[in-house]
Amino acid sequence: MREQTKIDGKQAVMLMLSMILPTAILTIPSISVRLARQDAWLSVAVAVLAGLLFARLSVSLSLRFPGRTLIEYAVEVLGRAAGKVVGVLYIWWFVHMGAVVIREFGAFLATAIMPETPMIVFNIVVAAVAAYAVWCGLEVLSRFNQLFIPLTVFLAVAFVLSIKDMRLERILPLFDTGLLPVLKGAAVPASWLGEIVVFTMIIPSLAAPGSAHRLACISVLLIGVFLILSILEALLVFGPEMTAAWFFPTFNAVRVVSIAGFLERLESVITVVWVVGGFIKVGVFYYAAVLAGAQWAGLRDYRPLVIPFGVVLVSLSILLFDNTAHMFAYLSQTWPAYALLVFEAGIPLLLLVAAMIRGKGEKGGR
Amino acid sequence: MPGFRWLDRIKKTKKRQTAAHKPRQSATSGRVPEWSGAGGLLSADLEQNLQRIKRTLDRCSDVVYREFAFAQMEKVRLVLIYVDGLADKSQISDQIMRALALEVPMAVPGRKISRAEALEFIKRRGLCMHQVKEADRLEDVVEAVLGGDTALLVDGHPVALINGSKQWEKRAITDPEAEPTVRGSRESFIESLRTNTAMVRRRIRSPALKIETLQLGELSRTDVALLYIEGLAEEKLVEELKRRLSRIRMDAVLESGYIEELIEDSAWSPFPTVNHTEKPDHVAAMLLEGRAAILTDGTPFALTVPNLFIEYLQASEDYYERFIFTSAVRVVRFIALLVSLMLPSIYIAVVSYHHELFPSTLLLSIAAQREAVPFPVFVEAVVMELTFEVLREAGIRLPRPIGQAVSIVGALVIGEAAVRAGFVGAATVIVVAFTGIASFVFAYSASIAFRLLRFTMMAFSAVLGLFGLISGVAVIGIHLCSLRSFGVPYLYPLAPAAIPGLKDTAVRAPWWAMLTRPRLIARDNQVRQGRRLKPEPPPAGPKGGKG
Amino acid sequence: MRRIAALILLALLVVPQAGCWSRREINELAIVLGAGVDQAAPGQVRLTVQFAKPAAFAGSGEGRSAGGGQGASWVVSAEGRTVDEAARHLSWKVPRDIYWSHCIALVFGEQMARAGVREALDFFQRDREPRETMWLMAAQGEARDFWETFSALENTSAQAIGLINRMKAGYSVQVREMAEMLAGRGIQPVIPRVVAKDEGVSPSPAKEKAGGGFKQVEIAGAAVFKGDRLVGWLDDEETAGLCWLKSKPVYGEITVAGPGGAAKKATVAIRRGKAKIKAFYDSGKGEKVRFDVQLTVEADLVEMQGDEDIARPDVLRALETELGKSVEQTAAALAARAQREFGADIFGFGQAFHRQHKKEWRALKERWDEEFARAEVKIRAEAHIREIGLLSRLTSPSER
Repeated sequence: MREQTKIDGKQAVMLMLSMILPTAILTIPSISVRLARQDAWLSVAVAVLAGLLFARLSVSLSLRFPGRTLIEYAVEVLGRAAGKVVGVLYIWWFVHMGAVVIREFGAFLATAIMPETPMIVFNIVVAAVAAYAVWCGLEVLSRFNQLFIPLTVFLAVAFVLSIKDMRLERILPLFDTGLLPVLKGAAVPASWLGEIVVFTMIIPSLAAPGSAHRLACISVLLIGVFLILSILEALLVFGPEMTAAWFFPTFNAVRVVSIAGFLERLESVITVVWVVGGFIKVGVFYYAAVLAGAQWAGLRDYRPLVIPFGVVLVSLSILLFDNTAHMFAYLSQTWPAYALLVFEAGIPLLLLVAAMIRGKGEKGGR
Repeated sequence: MPGFRWLDRIKKTKKRQTAAHKPRQSATSGRVPEWSGAGGLLSADLEQNLQRIKRTLDRCSDVVYREFAFAQMEKVRLVLIYVDGLADKSQISDQIMRALALEVPMAVPGRKISRAEALEFIKRRGLCMHQVKEADRLEDVVEAVLGGDTALLVDGHPVALINGSKQWEKRAITDPEAEPTVRGSRESFIESLRTNTAMVRRRIRSPALKIETLQLGELSRTDVALLYIEGLAEEKLVEELKRRLSRIRMDAVLESGYIEELIEDSAWSPFPTVNHTEKPDHVAAMLLEGRAAILTDGTPFALTVPNLFIEYLQASEDYYERFIFTSAVRVVRFIALLVSLMLPSIYIAVVSYHHELFPSTLLLSIAAQREAVPFPVFVEAVVMELTFEVLREAGIRLPRPIGQAVSIVGALVIGEAAVRAGFVGAATVIVVAFTGIASFVFAYSASIAFRLLRFTMMAFSAVLGLFGLISGVAVIGIHLCSLRSFGVPYLYPLAPAAIPGLKDTAVRAPWWAMLTRPRLIARDNQVRQGRRLKPEPPPAGPKGGKG
Repeated sequence: MRRIAALILLALLVVPQAGCWSRREINELAIVLGAGVDQAAPGQVRLTVQFAKPAAFAGSGEGRSAGGGQGASWVVSAEGRTVDEAARHLSWKVPRDIYWSHCIALVFGEQMARAGVREALDFFQRDREPRETMWLMAAQGEARDFWETFSALENTSAQAIGLINRMKAGYSVQVREMAEMLAGRGIQPVIPRVVAKDEGVSPSPAKEKAGGGFKQVEIAGAAVFKGDRLVGWLDDEETAGLCWLKSKPVYGEITVAGPGGAAKKATVAIRRGKAKIKAFYDSGKGEKVRFDVQLTVEADLVEMQGDEDIARPDVLRALETELGKSVEQTAAALAARAQREFGADIFGFGQAFHRQHKKEWRALKERWDEEFARAEVKIRAEAHIREIGLLSRLTSPSER
């Protein structure tokens, strides 16, 4: 089954931005700062370099098989049985990711905004809105994304407003704990940036697939910039110890902003930006999962899968973790290895090497 | 699916019912209602024709039959048939009867005109009418007469001469009532199609402006004109439009709204995909962007397609005033848009859930107000909104002098009294009033969508606070993104983003900067005007100093 | 299609059953403006809360007496083993939901502060309602006595002390800054000290006669902590010195000898003080840490008793020198006191040392306070007078 609609380069970049950034800004700072202390922003820079590698890998792989997604060409490269297995693995991964993201947002909303509301309500609503967008198609999803991306300017505005409370000394001295913690702290952001592998499901829908390399690079760089800014914001306002102590330090950083005695309490504005970003992020993974499922099963249209997948996503989001602490522990310890080694770098590398050895696909894809 | 078997049972019964009721279906299947004596060719015998026509137009007391003859046309009976009130009687008297009376003796002095040559003679030389057509079918004759033309039956010929003599009482061209303007043309369309097309033709004097006419409605036979500029409007658009129009089978098309509902892209969406306007200059501007317009006889409201969301932020006077001012006004309109959709919801959400958003002093002040009020904010807000809606509807229906007073008095007095009595808080009244006023910034049709959605948003935010509101807005946003109007994405040029198109959305770029037409509408012919049109002071000549 | 309609209908019917969990009407809230934590019996804390009485805040002025007086706030206390348990016990007395998001100030009683504030602070950071920007202070005496006060200009004393803090009349600290200071090894916390005093005339003398008094709040100096325990107080001048050494803005004035001699004073308002701290580590003889502090102070001349012509540059420079000396003395005295009496690095010299000598810091940080007490601190101050007001000299009849 092939997606009929086309999206152009700008929309693709914005989609990737919205896919990776929202939860990254929310949960990465705390985890990275715990490991790398005030050098966490350097960790992110390292992660960006890794992200560029992942992007190169994924795009090179996809360009060998123009017009086809990962699910489709896995079968070509590895043979029917192994290819189908790879397909199932990725469907599982997209669903897992989607559920984790839903959970992250539900946790944030339930902890920071409206604690009395049971988390499942947030999860259901987020999944329902994303389901509607997925139902309407990729083009609608990316248009919606384009519509709301200008809101991210508020992130920059929040950064500027917190400058008053920032003190440069808080991130000095550099490399305080040495190089190793910086690298350790880069693992989690790298696994986030590695989500760019989802791009392989989107590339066939690009209006100009040849520019995919450039688009992926731009996406990774932009995401890196925003992420570094967010971590810096938290670090410069709170210092490394406090940043590591909060669960959502960027949220707390915005709460602190107070200009001229009346421009305060701005966390609601930022929350809006994050929640909308959350809808889109869930939407993209949801879309990837549903599209993968439809292609794997050979269906003509992915729409009948939307509701069943939605139910699975919501249930999984509740069942995965017992509480927020459990989620954070999972994200900082188990997640990087699992995501990076297997899905973001491992299998694509395997596929690329296998394709080159077995001579599958078109060389001129670069 | 086991749980839904009861649904299937419902389905089956419905089918049975519709089957039983089939014969009661209305005539909208496309068949012409049975007219006695209708149909068929005319015969050469005048009497037979006349009898058939009289049978068809039986008991139509406004149809007039005028029989006459001329001495020189020996034994040639002539009968004029027209509708009193639709045909121009002075034309009939002067241009038909007197013309014939004068021409006949002058044309062929001395000899008599035979029956056989009577028709040609009358048609070519006798009649002084500006438009004469021939009809040989009875239904065409009847249709023409009912349309205001005058039919001239000539004995001995199976052909009737249809003279164009349409003339009836029309409203004068006045200010548009639904779209008041400060600057710009104050002409508005009226109910007569020809006058309307003329108003558009006057503004676009190019032969590329095409006006195609068709008739819709079995019983109403409404004239509908389709306008577009060839070369600017995409052929696919015009074809699709014609296709949708031709699908219409109704008893009557009394207003352009009937057409609108039958050609629009999405019947269930609260947002209209077809725009309408009363102003000819607006229609002309739309046509110049590559859109198509539909004018309907009997209503001053013209339809334009495709319709984009951004049009609700634009008004035609934006283009007449200077761009700095209108850009600022556009921003105000945008704010009014957000306010009219979301302000009550934000208020409900913040007062019920997110008290930390208020500055402390404001919170305490509002808390003081709300000590006296028994109802939750949501109930208050909904009641006040409903009251406002009722006042607004009542204000429209009342006769003009009373209407304004009642609206103002009603709103002020009721609001004030309600606050005093402790039913609602003052803040709620302010919020609702401001929202109501903000919704007046838009044309009536656009504001309807927001009025409906506002209540939905209030419900969402009452249940889940700001998160509910955001979800609701997201759903609306996704819906808008998925909507297309005749193939063009509804939110163009916001999404998909088109930078040149953005010059006319939130702000209005000055005329000398708007070089291209909207990309997705006038795909082939985008360059609108020459470059370097920005006015510059003349270069200082050899005399120096200010020019 | 029919199925979809049925499902939607079911969903819509279900929604209202659930109710809105987080919804609270404003008049169901008991809005906390100020909070205080005391030590009751050992192991018990007493939480004192000043609530706002909304009726007194009506915008149109109905029900608002002049200056708020006694009608705008209500003070309640309760005890418990932890702060939150005390808050639960409070809810037995308070008919509404206790709402922390607008709490302006948090005050620790002296006894509590000496016992250690870290545990009590946990509640105020973990719960999402109290904001990180609450002003934190230590009271002389009990926090409960502090909160049973009023304000003549504002509606409540919580608002008053909040505004005083916001104006930076003294050394102002927010909860998050305290948390940062507690977490860092290179700095010890200092928070402002507040007292409740009888001042002024009560707007309703009848209440005063009945023994209610009219106590108001004021800020007076600072409280020095070592770790999370209170160890001593600083007076106003020392607090100003602290602000200069920490490069914090201060809204205060000091009086120095005028340029004509010590008999005639001059008062300057210090607008900003900046400290450049250079840390040195002398390994070898005794492994001593050395600090070289360059203080730069900018001030405006506000009042001068002598009649020298301040517009003359030499007079101005004399005043600057005098000011510099005075600043140096104050700062040096404060530093000495911090080293000897408290043994606490309240200035953040340790953080500067960390930034400049990160390797050595790793070895020293465990016992930094001892190192700090032993360290050699040299302070040099330079003062600049920016504005001198409208007058160049005070005219006197002794001329001509």
